[in-house]
Amino acid sequence: MTNLAGAYMARPRTSIAAPERELPQTPKTAPHIEIVPTRTQRKARPKIAYAAVVVTGVLAIVVTQLLLSIGLSDGAYEISSLQSQQKELDRSNQVLTEQFDKLSSPQNLAASAESLGMVANSAPVYLRLSDGAVLGSPVAAAGTSVTGGQALVPNSLLAPPTVAGATAGAGANGASSAPPAPEVQPDVPWQGALPSPTTR
Amino acid sequence: MNATASRSTRRRAAVAVFAVVAVVAVFVVRLVTIQVVQADTLNAASFDKLSAETTTYGLRGDIVDNDGTVLATTVLRYDVTASPKSVTDFDRTDDAGKTTTITPTQAAGEIAAITGQTADEVYGILTADPSSNFAYVVRGIDVDAFRSIRDLDIPWLYYSSNPVRTYPNGAVAGSVVGFMGEDGDAAPTGAAGVEQIENQCLTGTDGVQTYERGADGVAIPGSTVTTTEAKPGGTAVLTLDSDLQWFTQQALAARVQEVGAAWGTVVVQEVKTGKLLAVADYPSVDPNNIDATPTEDRGSIAFQAPFEPGSTFKALTAASVLDAGLADVGTQVEAPYIFTDPNGASTRDSEFHVDPLRLTFAGVIQESSNTGTAMLGELLTPQQRFDYMTKFHIGSSSEVGFPGESGGILHPVDEWDDQTNLTTTFGQGLSTTAVQIASVYQALGNGGVRLPVQLVSRCEQADGTMTQVPDATGEQVVSPQAATDTINMLETVATGGYASADLQIPGYRVAAKTGTAQMSDGSGAYGDSYITSLAGLAPADDPQYVVSVTIAKPVTIENGLAAAPVFQKIMSQVLKEHRVLPSTVPGPDLPTTY
Repeated sequence: MTNLAGAYMARPRTSIAAPERELPQTPKTAPHIEIVPTRTQRKARPKIAYAAVVVTGVLAIVVTQLLLSIGLSDGAYEISSLQSQQKELDRSNQVLTEQFDKLSSPQNLAASAESLGMVANSAPVYLRLSDGAVLGSPVAAAGTSVTGGQALVPNSLLAPPTVAGATAGAGANGASSAPPAPEVQPDVPWQGALPSPTTR
Repeated sequence: MNATASRSTRRRAAVAVFAVVAVVAVFVVRLVTIQVVQADTLNAASFDKLSAETTTYGLRGDIVDNDGTVLATTVLRYDVTASPKSVTDFDRTDDAGKTTTITPTQAAGEIAAITGQTADEVYGILTADPSSNFAYVVRGIDVDAFRSIRDLDIPWLYYSSNPVRTYPNGAVAGSVVGFMGEDGDAAPTGAAGVEQIENQCLTGTDGVQTYERGADGVAIPGSTVTTTEAKPGGTAVLTLDSDLQWFTQQALAARVQEVGAAWGTVVVQEVKTGKLLAVADYPSVDPNNIDATPTEDRGSIAFQAPFEPGSTFKALTAASVLDAGLADVGTQVEAPYIFTDPNGASTRDSEFHVDPLRLTFAGVIQESSNTGTAMLGELLTPQQRFDYMTKFHIGSSSEVGFPGESGGILHPVDEWDDQTNLTTTFGQGLSTTAVQIASVYQALGNGGVRLPVQLVSRCEQADGTMTQVPDATGEQVVSPQAATDTINMLETVATGGYASADLQIPGYRVAAKTGTAQMSDGSGAYGDSYITSLAGLAPADDPQYVVSVTIAKPVTIENGLAAAPVFQKIMSQVLKEHRVLPSTVPGPDLPTTY
């Protein structure tokens, strides 16, 4: 520009319109000039591949981390759910163990055995397997019951509660753990005259 | 032009780089401050906000019998609390998707239906103090009730659990197992029986776990820290056999009620090991329901109540005399009705007889002659007799260490007056517990070797280690020959004594001794009620089990016959349960008169 300005000022003006005609001839289309890079220059240019790899790598890491943390949280919720499942199962286990212990108590077994009509045998006879000898004299079991009809060793876990609203422990314990209920016999209608007390 | 251009370019580049580095440096400094310098404070602050602490229970261990039957165990019971401040109507959506609004009154009704309270009661609790944040709705409900209430989905109810002790077998071994007691605000601890002896073994230690939780209460993964590991209590294994214990308690209770007695106790001990298989008392406490038994009946009579043993003690005197070599089973005595010893003290037989009885030593035992025993007993000096009694552990409590256990009373020999000197030969003038008497017979049955009495066989920790295994070394109290001779003399009681009909066990040889002792009336003299007892072993040829039965103040039968049927029943059961082979060698049939 500077040069051109200098050239413009140095030339004497002939007419006003002259400058248009005196401009140097500009060609209709500008020549398309490209700087061709040499091989070295081409090699020196940073490769797109590396950038692509790096960016992909970064994206991959971010995605993996996201997936991992989703997996972890899922796992935490699953742990929580399994733990509460375990708690529930522990509770069921406790209920069943309590029932089992109660029903296998000797008081209950004796009462059940007697209600089935079993009797005690206090004169056992031994069979010696080595030679088949019978030690003792076999005798039919006398029809005596072990408890004689009275259960004298109490177990308050088997008995229904007698006083409602007793200490919360004993009361609730008895109320919620129902004993095996005996069969309810249908009422037998009274026949004949009602008995009256003899008075003097 | 190039030099100027690159210099200004470089300057601009340098400025840019410097700016970037400055910004990065600020970030780095900030990072270091947060991650390194302030890390602990910030961590602590966040921990405070997010963390929750839970107590992991170290539950109290079980008490089990010798084959694992649970005698005492810990279960969880639930308390339901409400926040009266937040008690309002709430919505409940049922399975069909229908939403209904439930009022507190309705909710109270639903709760009451499950817990057995009245709806008014529950509503009263919920509305008593509307500004409070805490009120117990019901305490100590079991799992089924807890689940039903929880399924009601009432948002202003909260739940907590407490460990509670329960005894599945009720009164079986109740007085031995004991029960828990509360000492003010402290956690319940063993207050009687094995619960107390083994309190240290049974008590677990609670653990603490802290975790950080998110807004919905779920634990943040990786943040659970167990500060203290919970350690459950160990299992106390007893030597008792719960089935035999029940049988014994049932038989004893039936007999005591039948003869109208005040109390009774039975001890069953294994001769070869010293282990107690059954310790039955009547009356007995059911640890599930202590209040049903008066305070004075909640202990163990067998361990804690000493009494003057009476004639069952004659076996000890006999063994002492035989061991000292001063007499043998055939030594002949003329036992008068009234005997006065050289010191002037006198005693008489229980049955009047005009002429002196011509008895051998065996006959003295069979007839339970006080005068005969006194004459033979006084062949030993008082010091000798005292030494034998001490060797049999009379006057000192057993190795069990039961809480409140009594060792009986045996006065030092230099304090014996002449009457005591005489009466101690036949078991009056000193006192013993039922366990001590059983232990005397155990020594006699075991060839004269007394083994320590065992009730707790071990304490098993959760990891399998066993502690508190009792020492089982025996001591030779009398010679094996003296012990065998005493057993043979005792056998004459079962074959020919006044109670022999009640003592027969078909197929087995039984050696036993009846006793009818006078009871002190509490003010220094003897009253008019008796303690009847029967102690014995079977089978006499190789004794396996000792059964000692004591019944106090029987009304309908006042001598050893009150106790004899119980002995026979229990001894038959023990022999049957343990498959003891019937005796094959016939008894020696010692002559009792001459």
